[in-house]
Amino acid sequence: MKFWKKATAAAAGVLLLAGLAGCSSSSASSKKASSSSVKQTTVTLWAGGSQNVKDGMSKIVSAFNASPEGKKYHLNLEFILSGTSAASLQDRLVAAKKAGQKKTNYDLILASDSDYAAYTQLGGKSIFEKYDKSQISNLKNDKATISAGKGYLVPYRGTTVVLAYDSAKVKNPPKTAKELYAWIKANPGKFAYNTPESGGAGAAFVQTAVYNYLPKAALTSSDTKWANQWNKGLSLLKSLNSSMYKSGGKVVYPNKNQGTMDLLANGQVEMIPAWQDMTTMALTAGTLPKTVKMTQISPAFTGNLDSLVIPSIGSNKKGAEAVMNFMLSKKAQNILVDTMAAIPVIDQKEITSDNLKYIKGLNAKDFRFSSTGNLATQLIQKWDSEIGNGVK
Amino acid sequence: MKKSDDLQKKWTPYLYVLPAFFLILLLIVYPVVTSLSLSLKNKVTSHFTLDNYHYFFTDQVQLGNIGYTLFVAVMTVILALLLGFMLALYIRFNNNSLSKTVVALTVLPQFIPGLVAVYSIMLVVRNGGVLSRIAQSLGFTFNPNLMYSANGLIMVNLWFNIPFAALLLLASLANVRQASIESARDIGADKWTVLFKIILPATYKQFFIAGAFVFMTNVGSFTTPFLMGGNNPQMLGVVLYKEFNQYLDYNKAAALSVILFLLCSLSAIVYVIVNLRQEKWR
Repeated sequence: MKFWKKATAAAAGVLLLAGLAGCSSSSASSKKASSSSVKQTTVTLWAGGSQNVKDGMSKIVSAFNASPEGKKYHLNLEFILSGTSAASLQDRLVAAKKAGQKKTNYDLILASDSDYAAYTQLGGKSIFEKYDKSQISNLKNDKATISAGKGYLVPYRGTTVVLAYDSAKVKNPPKTAKELYAWIKANPGKFAYNTPESGGAGAAFVQTAVYNYLPKAALTSSDTKWANQWNKGLSLLKSLNSSMYKSGGKVVYPNKNQGTMDLLANGQVEMIPAWQDMTTMALTAGTLPKTVKMTQISPAFTGNLDSLVIPSIGSNKKGAEAVMNFMLSKKAQNILVDTMAAIPVIDQKEITSDNLKYIKGLNAKDFRFSSTGNLATQLIQKWDSEIGNGVK
Repeated sequence: MKKSDDLQKKWTPYLYVLPAFFLILLLIVYPVVTSLSLSLKNKVTSHFTLDNYHYFFTDQVQLGNIGYTLFVAVMTVILALLLGFMLALYIRFNNNSLSKTVVALTVLPQFIPGLVAVYSIMLVVRNGGVLSRIAQSLGFTFNPNLMYSANGLIMVNLWFNIPFAALLLLASLANVRQASIESARDIGADKWTVLFKIILPATYKQFFIAGAFVFMTNVGSFTTPFLMGGNNPQMLGVVLYKEFNQYLDYNKAAALSVILFLLCSLSAIVYVIVNLRQEKWR
């Protein structure tokens, strides 16, 4: 009896340690398609982001596999949900590249054009492979132009920060940034933006307020000399501070994109900067009142073009290009608009989704992009110390 | 044979302790040691420095954050103990269907996920939320102003901690013998005398223990202050999150972790001292 007690205790201890050690070595490995009689090869698409990206991509994957191309290539999705403290796609890919791995299953990944700079900065230009134009016949329909990575990135959907407002209370929404700032001052307490570190909508508001005073080139540069010219924009934000939403007499910048959206839904504020796709999803789900509308001001809030790109360490370039081609098809673009309220990159006439009514007037063609690298973090820190922590 | 039996007796306990011991070593001691060493290094040069601590104890904003955190935590402790004790007294000395319902309700918060609870409370108490709408339908304007304020944070903390404190205090109240109270009454003691001479001396230890636990869980809390807190001052949990995730300043984040660890140790020391003290009166 005693022996068994001891043995089980020892075994439990060993198992525990083995389990702990095992955790670190278990990495996400893809399921290889079973080698059936048909000569079908596997393509693995790696993506990361929020749940809506996962939902959209899952639909794309099953649509691709059901399409004629799906007979030749079987598409797999590997998804890394953001905020789960798993190693990011960028870390994994760069690590694999630096370790000299070849013929991995990183056949195709999702990356925005601002990600592209970080990838090539860390992993060198050879981390990606140029796509073959002749293999992607739908490319001619792609209306979007990217700011970086031409020949590598195939932009397939856009998303941007817009001005969301309650049309029942605001009859004439501002059309320019100047009008917006004037409106905020004329309507104290009726505008809110979230803290820039907690969500992209607030970050875009802060960034555009600062960079509207700078030359156009500054928005796509990580040169630290631009940081010296932030003062004008920051003092503008300081002057807006007292006109922001107040709770209990104190100015409040809510946390997260959802924080300001809740205030808009409750009628506490009348106007906020918000992600166009998030707002659309909230409108279709009914969590925002029907009177909420979206508009873009000029100069615009910043947005993102999400793209497909082929890592050089992948093992199925032809298959990856087939997926790229499919992503630009009418069918795939409609799925993206339907599930993610994405801004399509093909002509909006080709879109039949109901969500189209929310994105009318927003074109991936005339997006405003930002890619300031490390400066983005520094700007947030600056905002925090001069505005978030209380304007002196 | 005899000897190996002795050996078995000697080693068996260690085998049982081993898994837990390694877990503690791996998940508590190791991170504490690495945090400590990281907090004493310069971000760029990795040389020894006290700057990371110096920053938190001299920067006006950070001092405000530390004070704010202590204020919220201490207020939570005081109110949770007071209200929890009243609740425990009621449950202990009343035995009817209402008090039984109260017991059931007391346990309820422990089964509701924190995030769900905070969002539900926010829905009710936010300006323009349920309370405001009820007021509006009755024809007047009312804004609770509990969001983004210390009052709101303390209120939610109480929601979580009163039941917890009540359950702990209830356990010690069970030690108070009915006979002691009845005999005191027989010789003419009024309610207050019973409370101060019999009930409190038997339960004061549990007060410190419950207080220590409530303090520890609230001083480093994150969910509630992140969702409900204002922009400044902020609770240290949120500051830590920002240093780590947004500013990527791991050295300062480590220093703040150590500071939080020390704050929690204060209450741990109270806990240990109270536990070690000899019972004097029984």
